[in-house]
Amino acid sequence: MQRIVYRWTRNLHLYCGLFVSPFVLLFAASVFLLNHAHPPAPQATPPPAPTVRAVQVPPGIEKAEGTDRLRLVSEALSQVGVAGEIQFVRFISDERRIVVPVVRPGVETTVDLNLAEGKAEITERRTGLWGAVSYLHRSPGPHNASIRGNWFWTRVWRWLADGTVYLTLFLSLSGIYLWVALRAERRVGLALIAAGALSFGGIVYAVVG
Amino acid sequence: MPSSAKPSLEAWNKKLHIYLGLYFLFFLWLFVFTGLLLNHPLWRFAEFWPQRIETSYERSIDRIPAEGDLERAQSVMQQLGLAGEIDWPPKQPGADRLEFSVNRPGNMNRVSVDLAANRASVQHIEINAWGVMHVLHTFSGTRANNPEARRDWSLTTLWVLAMDALAAGLILMVLSSYYMCWRLHPKRRAGSISLAAGVVVCGFFVFGLSWL
Repeated sequence: MQRIVYRWTRNLHLYCGLFVSPFVLLFAASVFLLNHAHPPAPQATPPPAPTVRAVQVPPGIEKAEGTDRLRLVSEALSQVGVAGEIQFVRFISDERRIVVPVVRPGVETTVDLNLAEGKAEITERRTGLWGAVSYLHRSPGPHNASIRGNWFWTRVWRWLADGTVYLTLFLSLSGIYLWVALRAERRVGLALIAAGALSFGGIVYAVVG
Repeated sequence: MPSSAKPSLEAWNKKLHIYLGLYFLFFLWLFVFTGLLLNHPLWRFAEFWPQRIETSYERSIDRIPAEGDLERAQSVMQQLGLAGEIDWPPKQPGADRLEFSVNRPGNMNRVSVDLAANRASVQHIEINAWGVMHVLHTFSGTRANNPEARRDWSLTTLWVLAMDALAAGLILMVLSSYYMCWRLHPKRRAGSISLAAGVVVCGFFVFGLSWL
């Protein structure tokens, strides 16, 4: 019985680990970017030229609030072919404009809807591979929780990010089980767990104070 | 590579995988768990901001350097006994005032100094253990919306080094697992299928969605 459990755990550790490894690489590599890279100041790069498209303004968009407004804004965005996660909706009532930043991995789009003229000014900026992984690391994130996940693929990514967490927890627990079974590595392993716990506790204690 | 060296490399690769995993265990658990919390801000049990404790006080200060916001802020912090990462507002309110925040996981201090009257008022905010864990996940001294922000507290740098070390350790563990799988001939095909499935799904999000 013990041998069967060991074999199953070992196989699951291997196959689950290999499946989740690209996600772990994504989250780990983007740490360096998030900790050390400083994005260029907005004025350092010239803004890309916007494109203008006609849009049929969904009725009631100016008076709608919350999720209703989000739904109507999504309708307008699909008319002009812009897809992605809506970050927030900024309504400038005296100018009858709605400004919507929309993000998908690697692309940041700002849509400026002119309600009076029925026009949408669309500015798209490609952020490249590092922009994509940095965005995915932070997505969906804690901000604007009430509207977050307004794009289908953000909801799928949330599910995958959660799955990465659960699989990583499973990998660490199954790894401990497999290590315990390896008698030869017990002493060194215990010393490393103790060293890890001490350095973790020490650093957290110093930083939190 | 000579065949006699292979068992040694395999053995060391396996040791590296185990040792890194065991050393970084607690760091890994903190970051995966807080990652989950950050992605689910509506989970009530982990709420921390509504439970914050705010206090305010005022103190007289002296010996403020004549020039340099950073030098002035550091002098005020020393006199008030505050330590942490300094955060600056987008703009200072005027020549006779200095405003900044001093943050560390667990507490924040919003400091406003009247330079003419040599008086500092401090709003102190303390958050619970859930809040501390949230902040630890993102505590790097950099701000995505403020490219000028730089780390100015040595313990922030230490924490960032710990995060970097964990990230480097995880990358090494993944690479060592690829080598182990490659050396395990009977598992190579199924392992490659698992890896390929992960690469396709993850690759779709990294590269595919930008072309929608």
